[in-house]
Amino acid sequence: MKQEFIDAVKSGKVLTKKCTKCGHLHLATVYFCQNCGAKGFENKILEGTGTVATYTIITVPPAGFEKYTPYAWVVMKIDGYELRISGFLGGIGSPAQLPVGAKIKITGYDDRGILLEKQ
Amino acid sequence: MEKVCVLGAGSTKYGKLDDSITDITIQASVGAIESAGIDPKEIQAGYISNVFGVADKQVHLGPVVMSNLGIPEKPSLSIESACGSGSVSFREAFANVAAGFYDAVLVAGTEKVTHTGTEWTTTYFSYCSDFFYEGGAGASFPGLFASMARAYLTEFKATEEDLAMVAVKNHENGLLNPKAHLRKKITVDDVMKSAVVASPLKLYDCCPFSDGASAVILCSEKFAKEHSKNYVNVIGSGRGGSPATLQGRDHMTTIPSTKLAAQAAYKMAGITPKDIDFAEVHDCFTIAEVVDTEDLGFFEKGKGVQAVREGRTSKNGDVAINPSGGLKAKGHPIGATGVGQVVEVFEQLTGKAGERTVNDAKIGLTHNFGATGASCAVHIFQSV
Repeated sequence: MKQEFIDAVKSGKVLTKKCTKCGHLHLATVYFCQNCGAKGFENKILEGTGTVATYTIITVPPAGFEKYTPYAWVVMKIDGYELRISGFLGGIGSPAQLPVGAKIKITGYDDRGILLEKQ
Repeated sequence: MEKVCVLGAGSTKYGKLDDSITDITIQASVGAIESAGIDPKEIQAGYISNVFGVADKQVHLGPVVMSNLGIPEKPSLSIESACGSGSVSFREAFANVAAGFYDAVLVAGTEKVTHTGTEWTTTYFSYCSDFFYEGGAGASFPGLFASMARAYLTEFKATEEDLAMVAVKNHENGLLNPKAHLRKKITVDDVMKSAVVASPLKLYDCCPFSDGASAVILCSEKFAKEHSKNYVNVIGSGRGGSPATLQGRDHMTTIPSTKLAAQAAYKMAGITPKDIDFAEVHDCFTIAEVVDTEDLGFFEKGKGVQAVREGRTSKNGDVAINPSGGLKAKGHPIGATGVGQVVEVFEQLTGKAGERTVNDAKIGLTHNFGATGASCAVHIFQSV
């Protein structure tokens, strides 16, 4: 299921699971509905566009991220839904470049995880 | 349910330690046994909390510790719940003594990581997040809490200077603690001028990486009365969980597991937040202490920073927060921290806290969580 989710991210989309019982929407890495506990889901593909819910700019990175530093790690609110997804956003050096509420989008997936960019 | 008591407590110094993870765990355990005044053979089980034993070439610590205490036949287990390991382990020990399975147990928490260096410690710690979404996308732990801080500063009337005041207060408390990792007075200006780690958090907003071990003897009330007058009653115990990721939470300025654990602990104790004289809370970063004090019910949401500004969380304030110096100054050996908080409460409530003593304190609370609060335990203690 994770590979399917990653494939959607690679094409700029978010694969979500909609509970067939209560309609609650989750990122597609969940096996039971968080709202009602049911196991039946239907796939729903969302556009990977949204706004910055919160973020940080990392200057002391974990291993493997040295060459990208500084970079932002961002929680994005997906447009039109009460659903959030987080990921890596490169090339950001100061908070002024990425205010909360700024428009961003998913652009891919690699060894830095889910990749985001400013729209 | 049996009444449960803390009968003794011991701890190594927190900081960069030379001894091995095995040695420091045994040192803290011996301290707890001597403090309790019991024969090690009276211990019926061992609860060991640790996260990165693999970094010092020793996992399965329980039998090694028990063998060195001369009780190899006694059962033990290791518990890992990231930075909340110590309190989660304490809770399991509490539940077993309360249920009557054991009369007396050893609870020891330990960590040895500083020899791996900043980059690898940062990397190891990031494995405590939901790695696919967070650590694997470059989110360090300072980064995750910095994201909470950014959300808090955006939503409420708070500034980076307000957060800095938490660090200044905890460093002041840590100065009085001979076992603290950082014993250095700092100013708001020092915090503001320290290097940015993950904006808006700077070096002095972050707790240090520490080595250290802490241990307590937990027992039934009957066992305690037979051995000592210097014990402390555990009157409340609560646990809770939160979504493993920040993205999974509707609000990023609160930690759901803290609220759940606190509600359960207050209910068991039959008290309210107003009854708490002092608390050791999980201040891995300055923002965390502010969020904790709100989620624990000491202050309204968004008012935690005002309480710090007004000195209400200082040693002689309404509710003393982190009189030990907290994770921020006392240090944060992640597997030991939750047990170390109990050591502080034990010392405070049995007249052994020296200069750190919170005046007229009768009821203390410990609050410790793993990762960004994905797992949490709260305990409440009362003097005899």
